[in-house]
Amino acid sequence: MKKNIAVQVDDLTVAYNYKPVLWDIDLEIPEGVLMAIVGPNGAGKSTLIKSILGILKPIAGSVSIFGKSYEKQRHLVAYVPQKGSVDWDFPTTALDVVTMGTYGSLGWIKRPGQKEKKESLEALEKVGMLAFKNRQISQLSGGQQQRIFLARALVQNASIYFMDEPFQGVDATTEIAIINILKELRKAGKTVVVVHHDLQTVPEYFDWVTFLNVKKIATGPVKDIFNDDNLTKTYGINYKVSIQE
Amino acid sequence: MMSNAQIEIQLIASLVAIACAIPGTFLVLRKMAMISDAISHSILPGIVVGFFITQDLNSPLLILLAALTGIITVVLVEYIQKTGLVKEDTAIGLVFPILFSIGVIMIAKNANDVHLDIDAVLLGELAFTPFDRFIVSGVDVGPKSLWVIGVILLITIALLVAFFKELKVSTFDAGLAASLGFSPAVIHYGLMTVSSITTVGAFDAVGAILVVALMISPAATAYLLTNNLKRMLVLAICFGVFSAISGYWLAHFLDASIAGSITTMLGLLFLAVYLFAPSKGVIAVIYREKQQRTEVSLLTFLLHLKNHTEERERHVNHLNEHINWQKVRSKTVLDLALKNNMIQFEKNIVSLTEKGDAFTSKAIDYIITNEDAQIEDMKDDFFLFRG
Ligand SMILES: Nc1ncnc2c1ncn2[C@@H]1O[C@H](COP(=O)(O)OP(=O)(O)OP(=O)(O)O)[C@@H](O)[C@H]1O
Ligand SMILES: [Mg+2]
Repeated sequence: MKKNIAVQVDDLTVAYNYKPVLWDIDLEIPEGVLMAIVGPNGAGKSTLIKSILGILKPIAGSVSIFGKSYEKQRHLVAYVPQKGSVDWDFPTTALDVVTMGTYGSLGWIKRPGQKEKKESLEALEKVGMLAFKNRQISQLSGGQQQRIFLARALVQNASIYFMDEPFQGVDATTEIAIINILKELRKAGKTVVVVHHDLQTVPEYFDWVTFLNVKKIATGPVKDIFNDDNLTKTYGINYKVSIQE
Repeated sequence: MMSNAQIEIQLIASLVAIACAIPGTFLVLRKMAMISDAISHSILPGIVVGFFITQDLNSPLLILLAALTGIITVVLVEYIQKTGLVKEDTAIGLVFPILFSIGVIMIAKNANDVHLDIDAVLLGELAFTPFDRFIVSGVDVGPKSLWVIGVILLITIALLVAFFKELKVSTFDAGLAASLGFSPAVIHYGLMTVSSITTVGAFDAVGAILVVALMISPAATAYLLTNNLKRMLVLAICFGVFSAISGYWLAHFLDASIAGSITTMLGLLFLAVYLFAPSKGVIAVIYREKQQRTEVSLLTFLLHLKNHTEERERHVNHLNEHINWQKVRSKTVLDLALKNNMIQFEKNIVSLTEKGDAFTSKAIDYIITNEDAQIEDMKDDFFLFRG
């Protein structure tokens, strides 16, 4: 069975202040995979996601989502940024942050109404955070903040989800809760791309993986390419991860 | 009775306060307070050039020209910052003194033709605003400054209502805003334009320093009082207007500068809120920390009682020695536990009551499982102690 290509990246080069941090990346992400992006700190994982989402302008190369430019397809895409990227002291509540996920479908000027509120409450319920809906966001624990971000992505009701380190600083219970929701998304035919640091859990959580360190090292099914050779190439030291069958 | 002029001055000051508080709230949340300082000074050359052309400080052309200088400042600061050689505050410090000095030199060189002086630019002259009237086909319709700031305020409010959600999302999470198609750059420059225009429109009346104070101070004060963006905006506006009017009367009774008095009121208001704000204020924080320390001590004490069934461990003297608290502290904790029926005494032997036992079990449960639902319960229980 030949799968559709959800995300296609061609010859992508991205630089901050003229120093390339991503170099000539070619990448195809098939529809319906749950994919991990792995690589050391500073490898350009967040940069790759931001470039796919049009947040950063690449100096060369192109990106397409289901065959069209991101601008035309943004309603199909949801994004969970790295947790440290926002100001958690911002005067707003958990529910309000989740409602921001509906802004994309509203477009400019139009305000969220009852329908958006209902959807946001449902998403909060799904991540087990309904009880915290009126909490100021700085009064949430790290794991709870991460769940709020996840709920905000869920409410976007997208086809492709990009998540930058959703497991950062969460406990085992929350990690399992999050991965279960991600697996549910995959079951519903969605494509999920996750920046992930815990190499031990890659085979258990994901079916697809991309190794990245400035250049793309490898991409493909976990069972075929998640091996010591690629890990060594990516992390530069000898890695031994035994994969259980 | 207040004279017409007095009413007009207070009205102008209040409108300026509102027009400043709105962009100011977003500047504070974006941690860009310094940029308003930069804009307020670097518009000077724009004002001077505009004045050469129009000969009228209230002309819309002058306002636009000067606002443009404000935008140029922002662009220059960002450009210098992007080189990665210096940080933002350094870039700001590099740009605006240069632009301001250019303005100062232009005024000095043309002092004879220009009725502009640096003092007026920095401090404004609110007291004179009622004398410059706006005459439409022979009819006096009020002070020009009132019209200028009124129009700017209306535009600001219209933009705020229309783009509130976009401002909010791009301020909180620029990455998300970009991915949703709300260009953070457009919103950023929109906000900078409004800030610049407000600054120019207000400086004639209140001067560059008060503009900065009116943008930043009410918003910073409001930030201490609420966790809701809309409420923060409303509070900032109220504080701005309150300071404007009370500052006016302070100046009236002290026979001092109005701008200076308003700035003083802004400062006093901030200080009061900083000290007394219910949850973020200094005094509340100190009080809460003390309370928390007592609560933790109480919990430690209850856990100790539950852990040790042998009487020796529960003798009053032993508790004093062993848990090793100072006398005062152990007395507070004992009183608190007694008051809440958590413990009972029997010949100097302390033991948990039924209620104390149940509470302690719940606490242990929470400590072990670390479950969110339980801490909510616990908080209610802790709350009982405070009552
Ligand atoms: N705004 C920026 N300006 C300049 N350089 C940047 C900026 N953001 C990132 N970089 C640099 O780009 C490189 C890639 O950063 P990126 O954040 O994409 O890494 P990452 O793989 O997500 O790392 P991490 O695992 O730490 O999140 C790093 O060397 C970083 O220093
Ligand atoms: Mg990253």
